[in-house]
Amino acid sequence: MQLIWNGLIVGSFYALVALGYSMVYGIIKLLNFAHGDIYMLGAFVGFFTLSAFGISNETSIPLLVVIMLLSMVTTGLIGVGIERIAYRPLRKSPRLAVLITAIGVSFTLEYGVRQIFGPNPEAFPIRLESSGFDFAGMRITASQLVLVIIAAVLMLVLAHIVERTREGRAMRAIALDPQGAQLMGVNVNRVIATVFFIGSALAGAAGVMAGAYYGSIDFLMGFIIGLKAFTAAVIGGIGNLYGAMLGGLLLGLLESFGAAWFGGEWRDVFSFAFLILFLTFKPTGLLGARVVERM
Amino acid sequence: MSYGPRRRTRLLQLAAGASLLLAMTGCSGGLAGGGGGGGDDGDGPISFGMLAPFSGSESAFGAYMQNGAQLAVDELNADGGVLGRELELVVEDDACDATTAVAGANKLVTEGITASVGGYCSGATLPTLPIFDEAGIPMVIPAANSNELVQGLPGVFLINGTGTQQAAAAVQYAEEIGATTVAAIDDATSYSADLAASFVEQAGDAGLEIAFEETVTPGENDYSAVATELASVQPDLVYWTGYYQEGGLIVRQATDAGYTGAFLVGDGSVDAKFAEIAGPGYTDNVVATFTQTPDMIEGADQWIADYSELAGEAPGPYSTQAYDAVRVMAQAIEDAGSTDFDAVVAGLEGLEGFDTFAGPLTFTDDHTLSGGGFVIVSIDPATNAFVLKDDLQG
Repeated sequence: MQLIWNGLIVGSFYALVALGYSMVYGIIKLLNFAHGDIYMLGAFVGFFTLSAFGISNETSIPLLVVIMLLSMVTTGLIGVGIERIAYRPLRKSPRLAVLITAIGVSFTLEYGVRQIFGPNPEAFPIRLESSGFDFAGMRITASQLVLVIIAAVLMLVLAHIVERTREGRAMRAIALDPQGAQLMGVNVNRVIATVFFIGSALAGAAGVMAGAYYGSIDFLMGFIIGLKAFTAAVIGGIGNLYGAMLGGLLLGLLESFGAAWFGGEWRDVFSFAFLILFLTFKPTGLLGARVVERM
Repeated sequence: MSYGPRRRTRLLQLAAGASLLLAMTGCSGGLAGGGGGGGDDGDGPISFGMLAPFSGSESAFGAYMQNGAQLAVDELNADGGVLGRELELVVEDDACDATTAVAGANKLVTEGITASVGGYCSGATLPTLPIFDEAGIPMVIPAANSNELVQGLPGVFLINGTGTQQAAAAVQYAEEIGATTVAAIDDATSYSADLAASFVEQAGDAGLEIAFEETVTPGENDYSAVATELASVQPDLVYWTGYYQEGGLIVRQATDAGYTGAFLVGDGSVDAKFAEIAGPGYTDNVVATFTQTPDMIEGADQWIADYSELAGEAPGPYSTQAYDAVRVMAQAIEDAGSTDFDAVVAGLEGLEGFDTFAGPLTFTDDHTLSGGGFVIVSIDPATNAFVLKDDLQG
């Protein structure tokens, strides 16, 4: 039972980051490898704001939510900026060019942050109360509950936006047929910017949550989680939002059990082996639709 | 068309030519260091090379080491240098990575350094040993302390206690607090795995029960798997041999998961950030095996002030070891009266009771410290700094 709970906690981080991956891929077929670094940026924006106000070792949840919203807006805008500067000029280029650019953006962000904040890991100034209680054979801490609830709320809001709003409809239209959507009067650039904003904001939120939960942030923290989120997106079916959520949680569980059975050092081997298995045998992922290539 | 005979001959010629060139450059490199330095013309400054991590995950330690070494160089120069010549420090980045370290070592050799006073990550230091050895450059390694570094090369000296010595201190402490079951967790790096293995071996010899051994991947934030295992097995003492970031996280997560035993961490985890990352209230049962640092040594205030003035920040882990490495090497050269390899090695072997931060230093036949100099430190909750708890002298 404990393994399941551990897996769900990690899984909700993966899911939040995987959503941004999946949305961007769904709409412009770009694997945004800089996405994990947006997560890192979110944590550092929170760290910077809190340090600027001289706050340390707080345990207040309202403060966490405020900082998280602030980080979300900032990383959202940064995401839009990245799209505008690095991806939009290349939108008509071969996909490989954009992919490599994404890797370049990733390194720019990582080492930019390193220049500003230094290479050392920093202790995140807000901590969540983590007194635990035992429930149904699991040890659950208050901070874990808060995180799972915040993650769930964010995902529900996203689902609402995509399913029920005009913007959401425009996103789905573009994902289906960009040129057709444009002919129908959809402002493609604006919708893509919105997607980047939402995706980056979610990653930023995950970054702040990770900072508050684990307590340690560093400039490379986005790298592994970026790859894991990509794996989660593939497992769930890349381009599919519910797939990203499912894939994230599933990957968290797989890792949790994998680490328990094979030992902690096999955790990454295990999860990336799953990536390869999925790409080999079910490249569309669990919920991915079969894509018919248009000629 | 496949490679015809003519083509093959030309290839062979090319290959022969290339290898000849390589051999020649290799030779000149060897000569440069061999006679006490072809680049060492006898009256210019004596240069000490230092490989340390200035980028990558361990990059914080590079600056600590460089500043410590630079302080020693400045002091020695103010006292008239070594053999009447100025000392200079040349640093290269090893990024705590074997490939980068080898490139850096070759660069230092071609720059004609007389001696090497660097080495932080054992995994990165190990492949540089044969390079310095072939070039006839003696090494005093300030921080790296894997047992693998002790492999019988004549010019290699370690002034940080080895993993075996540190593990012995850990076992001694475990026995002192009456632990009967112990666990070891490492991060798969050379230093850490080595220390954990050595601890498990010596703990077994001492009759302690090994509850489990686990390896984690550094850089992940989630160590719930090992935290859960600790909580369910509940060993009396767990020894974490990796670095402070993961250490802080593991302590916090294991405590949250319900582990109540003692945490012992290795010297790689000794940093005030450890307590910050673990969070207040999580470090009451954390102690570390460590070589003494200036803030634990009485009368080191002046040294700390000098260091802070030079570096603009307080000294960190391995500042003192780097400082001592330079002084040890300089003393050996002074004693030898020359920068010749054999003479310097003899000088190092001949040091007796040389005063360092880790106590009086005399090298053993293995070129390691006669006394490990390890003490037990605990965390002061007011400052998050590690302070002396037990000097293990009984």
